[in-house]
Amino acid sequence: MSTITALIALLFFPGGLVILLAGMAYEWADRKLVARFQNRIGPRWFQPLADNLKLLAKEEVIPQGVHRGLFVALPVIALSGALTAVLYVPVFGLAPSFSFAGDLIVTIYLLSLLTMCTGLAGANTLNRFSLVGATRTLTQMFSYEAPFLLALLGPALAAGSWQISEIAAYAEDHWLVLAQPIGFIVALIGLMGKLELPPFDAPEAETEIVAGPLTEYSGRGLALFHLGKGVELIVGLTLVSALYLGGVANPIAFFVKTLLLLVVLAGLQSLLARLRIDQTVGLWWRYGAILGLVQFLVLIAWEGLVA
Amino acid sequence: MATEKFIIPIGPQHPALKEPGHFEFDVDGEVVTAASVRLGYVHRGIEKGAETRNFVQAEYLVERICGICSHVHATAFCLGVEKLAGVEAPPRAQAIRQIVAELERIHSHMLWIGVAAHEAGFDTLFMYSWRDRETVMNLLEGITGNRVNYSANVLGGVKCDIGPEQIDAILAGLEFLEERTRHYLDVVSNDALFLRRTRGIGVMTRDEAERLGVVGPTARASGVPRDIRIDAPYLLYKEFPVELIVEEAGDLEARFKVRVRELFESYRVIRALLANLPEGDLTTRIPRRIKPAETISRIEAPRGELFYFIKSNGTDMAERVKVRTPTLPNMASVVVTAVGHQLADMPMILAGIDPCFSCNDRMTVVRRNGERQSWTWEQLRQYGIEWYR
Repeated sequence: MSTITALIALLFFPGGLVILLAGMAYEWADRKLVARFQNRIGPRWFQPLADNLKLLAKEEVIPQGVHRGLFVALPVIALSGALTAVLYVPVFGLAPSFSFAGDLIVTIYLLSLLTMCTGLAGANTLNRFSLVGATRTLTQMFSYEAPFLLALLGPALAAGSWQISEIAAYAEDHWLVLAQPIGFIVALIGLMGKLELPPFDAPEAETEIVAGPLTEYSGRGLALFHLGKGVELIVGLTLVSALYLGGVANPIAFFVKTLLLLVVLAGLQSLLARLRIDQTVGLWWRYGAILGLVQFLVLIAWEGLVA
Repeated sequence: MATEKFIIPIGPQHPALKEPGHFEFDVDGEVVTAASVRLGYVHRGIEKGAETRNFVQAEYLVERICGICSHVHATAFCLGVEKLAGVEAPPRAQAIRQIVAELERIHSHMLWIGVAAHEAGFDTLFMYSWRDRETVMNLLEGITGNRVNYSANVLGGVKCDIGPEQIDAILAGLEFLEERTRHYLDVVSNDALFLRRTRGIGVMTRDEAERLGVVGPTARASGVPRDIRIDAPYLLYKEFPVELIVEEAGDLEARFKVRVRELFESYRVIRALLANLPEGDLTTRIPRRIKPAETISRIEAPRGELFYFIKSNGTDMAERVKVRTPTLPNMASVVVTAVGHQLADMPMILAGIDPCFSCNDRMTVVRRNGERQSWTWEQLRQYGIEWYR
């Protein structure tokens, strides 16, 4: 790949600018769907864009007692982690911009970078709401991360590859949601945990700890975290659809499948009450991890017997 | 560091609070080990204000003590003043007062369901209950012309009549509300995830409830049979009684169930009253000046017992008006039940008593031996500065 096409892929399409806009569009779709499910009108189509533009234009207040370098750098690292993850997944139904053996693991860890940075950002400040929020964010991360990883390894095992493009190619003629339904459910719920969507929004429960780890963030930093969230939403939806829902070989399949998943996510968000953090951890380690493990063992046994 | 306490402050400004109050929770990880409450941020001096206005003006003033249960304040005040003056409102006026009071209870409880669900992060129930609450708000507007401060009462009667068309509108509205309420009862007693946030949370035993002197639905959820409408009937509650709704569990689930089940009682009583609306005048004459006397008047507000003490001195102004709103006795139960629960449960435990801060804020000075009783304006100002520092 020449330098110019690589730069375009990084800065404009499919990474960079376009994915930021798409992230905001998906965030809007999510908010609008939840609003309609709750019998509200919901935001106008440009609301996330307007929010982020406003935040980017505002002064960023750096509170006392924080490590200034970290405070400024963490949102940037979070967003760049999410944007880098985009390059390894087949967004918009196109082939991934970059690909190598084992990029599935790299992508999953790049996605965790955002959560990690959010937690560190909270722990970096002296704000008590932020500290509690940071503890919850990191606790929640340690609970869903393993089951989520196990759930994504299922398709990898079935395809016999750690490379997203190869798994997606295999998944195109094997609807793995039928073969591995438990893995699909764990992956979907894990995605909700990753995105801190209700009922897993204890880390930013506004009625308890205001805005959680991001309480002290304003202006640019907050906008970058929001944008990263939107990007992560797209990457997560793409991964789950590519691996479980018969691949995303063309743009139509991509939009249909990811939006369908989004509707399911929005429905779950509006159906369920918020879980306490201890309940979240209990849910993941008592059910999520065990189910993921069972699915995984069955797969290994199956592969062993057939092969 | 291990010996230092980690205190989570909630308020005076916090997303969980719709009104200013200040709570401090000492936490060990996520578990609350101690709780304290500090009130008084929205003290408005209404009691004093009521003493410097005549009875007619004071009724207007006390109706503004609470934005949600405005009618019960006006009713309690009117009943007290009428008792002092030795007159009684005509039966039709009493029936209309009771209908408005029960409609107000419906709107207050539905508002509470929404707020409490929101505290648990269950925004869908919040949106649905507030949407349905519009029905009863419209009914109240249809009767009195106002959505919030209805001002249905005047001394000696009511301002507004209920005609045949309004009866039809109310009955139709109640039909819809009753169906929705059945749905809410189903949700609060069967939604598995929601029950994980309410069942066994904030348990207050009957002994504790009696020791703390809690009132209203909070007490009834702990098995204390306490309801002024039954214990000391006023208006037409003797002729059209409500049934006592009691739950034994004492947790948040019980508080949800008590309030939702009370709605059915309200629907029943309103229907009975509408079917047997007494004929007659809406008002009776009441003297302007009232001879020196004192009285109390008690009413079951949506949140519990509302208590008025009124003392007259022969002029057209009250010598003393003392109000005790139901939030005041209930507030202590928050501090007691909070300990040992998770931080995440705090907003719900707090919302569980249906607090109304601005209603209960008042200033009390305990006089110790040798201290002067009267304060100058400058001293009061200094006291206020120190208090809010």
